[in-house]
Amino acid sequence: MSEPVLSARALRKSYPSGDGRLEVLRGVDLDIAAGESVSIRGESGSGKSTLLNLLAGLDSPDTGSVSWAGSTDTGAGRRAAFLGMVFQSFYLVPELDALANVLLARRILGRLDPAARTRARDLLARVGLAERAHHLPAHLSGGERQRVALARALMNSPRLILADEPTGNLDEQTGGGVIELLLSLCVSADAALVLVTHNAAHAARTRRSLLLTSGTLGAGRA
Amino acid sequence: MPWYLHLALRQLFPTGRRFPFFTLISTLGVALGVALLIIVMGVMGGFAYEIRHMIVDTEGEVQIVARSPIPDYRALMRKIDSVPGVEAATPYARDAVMLKFGDKAAFPMLRGLDLDSVSRVTQLGEYVRVGSLDDLDDDSIILSAQLAVSIGARVGDTVEVYSPLIINKLAADSVFLPREVRVVGILEIGHQQLDSSTAYGTIRLAQDLYGLGSTVHGLDVRIKPGMNEDDVVARINAVLPDDIRALSWQDSFSEFLWVLNLERNMIFFLLLFIVIVAAFSVTSSLLISVVRKTREIGLLGALGGKPVHVAACFCAQGLFIGVLGSVAGLALGLTALAFRNNVVLWITRVTQHPEVLRRYYQFSELPSHTSGATVALIVALTIVISTLAGLLPAWKAASLKPVEALRSE
Repeated sequence: MSEPVLSARALRKSYPSGDGRLEVLRGVDLDIAAGESVSIRGESGSGKSTLLNLLAGLDSPDTGSVSWAGSTDTGAGRRAAFLGMVFQSFYLVPELDALANVLLARRILGRLDPAARTRARDLLARVGLAERAHHLPAHLSGGERQRVALARALMNSPRLILADEPTGNLDEQTGGGVIELLLSLCVSADAALVLVTHNAAHAARTRRSLLLTSGTLGAGRA
Repeated sequence: MPWYLHLALRQLFPTGRRFPFFTLISTLGVALGVALLIIVMGVMGGFAYEIRHMIVDTEGEVQIVARSPIPDYRALMRKIDSVPGVEAATPYARDAVMLKFGDKAAFPMLRGLDLDSVSRVTQLGEYVRVGSLDDLDDDSIILSAQLAVSIGARVGDTVEVYSPLIINKLAADSVFLPREVRVVGILEIGHQQLDSSTAYGTIRLAQDLYGLGSTVHGLDVRIKPGMNEDDVVARINAVLPDDIRALSWQDSFSEFLWVLNLERNMIFFLLLFIVIVAAFSVTSSLLISVVRKTREIGLLGALGGKPVHVAACFCAQGLFIGVLGSVAGLALGLTALAFRNNVVLWITRVTQHPEVLRRYYQFSELPSHTSGATVALIVALTIVISTLAGLLPAWKAASLKPVEALRSE
């Protein structure tokens, strides 16, 4: 097997709780291969978002390590190029139109050129928003905003996409469409996907389904 | 353009909205501070500029002074004329006299002029409103405008001049008769103090009145255009005897100019607080913005934005407000200065005291002179202060951890 895109070893994470500490993750091991899609399910408060934040390098584990393509450098400088993130609340910048929101990822990477603009327009076209490129987030529906967020996550051709409940704020039908789009975009971009979701049907669409219970990851059932 | 500058601009000027309320209010606060600084410093600069103009126009750029009257001043003039950078020199004799016309008296300075050379050094002729310098002879004088009004004398009238020698005559129990001279002109410089307390006659008249014989009190010197005053003064001093010194007009009026500069600097310092107060409002608005945009700040971290760049985004907003406020304030201030006299005229008409300005502020019109250096200083300080105003919000934004910011409600 080739080197995994994402590798987590013995991740432990706890938070202060009253007089003691609440252990959220108790030794999580995870390997994601290039182009692989993996879903992580679990009950509310089981630590799914905590795990995703550790995998994204946004938070540090108490013990254990995370590496991206063999390197433990998960800092901001590398994150922009290696990783795309999709959130439940979309997190679009309200002052920027759809196109500028997609381009923001490339601006942060510091490589804004005419080709980037073309790619951003192509991505918006692929998520069905070519005609709405210059609309502000406030003038888009929830599903449209999430599709803009998908385009933004793919803008820098990342090797890994981390999606945290991307359908949590959408109705069933719109959410299904977004998952469909997310999976097809990841396949066409050859990006690995980690999808955190409550929805068993959405989880079943990924190649591998995991369940987070009692702070550890195990095989989940579709 | 770096992403943080682009985002800063977009947050100040969002797509589809021309001028958001926060940007408008913040910019307006800074602009008003800058405008006020420009207006006040322009008027203060105008006073200084006009005073310089009047001094140089009436006495030349360099004054030659001596502890005692200067004998053989013609030889001294030739020596000074030969100094590189000197355009011309003219002698003067000056002292206080008493003028009497009818039952009204005044105590002006009477300045004796050498009619052959005075026009090469001063522009006095341009300030003569009635009559001409050429009309002067040894039995006539020209009165400054307010002085003529105060004693009620007009061109053609004869006034009596009592010189300081009256003291000596009285001490010797001698009879002293005043000198009767005709008024042949009225001169108005535009400075209340000069226009109410100066009279001009020939140098021979002044020499007679002051008992100077053929000596003079000093010389006024005009230097060639583009020459450095201090360099020329140094060269003149090198050829003068020890008891005679050349002083630049700044040195001659150094105490007055020091007070003028002190006033100017104090007013600048005090008015700068308006910009500082405006900067506090920028800080306050940006801090609110940081709180409102906490999750966006978290997003920027998640997208790979570095904390220092997030900080730069908010600092840049302070910078842009400073630049915009400076440009708007500059335009507002310069426009107000352009119409200053209309405003002053309107105010004096409303308050029905149009003479107050002349009586207490020395000038018939509100002067204005805006130097590039002053404008540059105001703009630079405003931009620095506004940028500093963004520091606290920038630090708050940069210290937010992305994971906590994204989780915030």
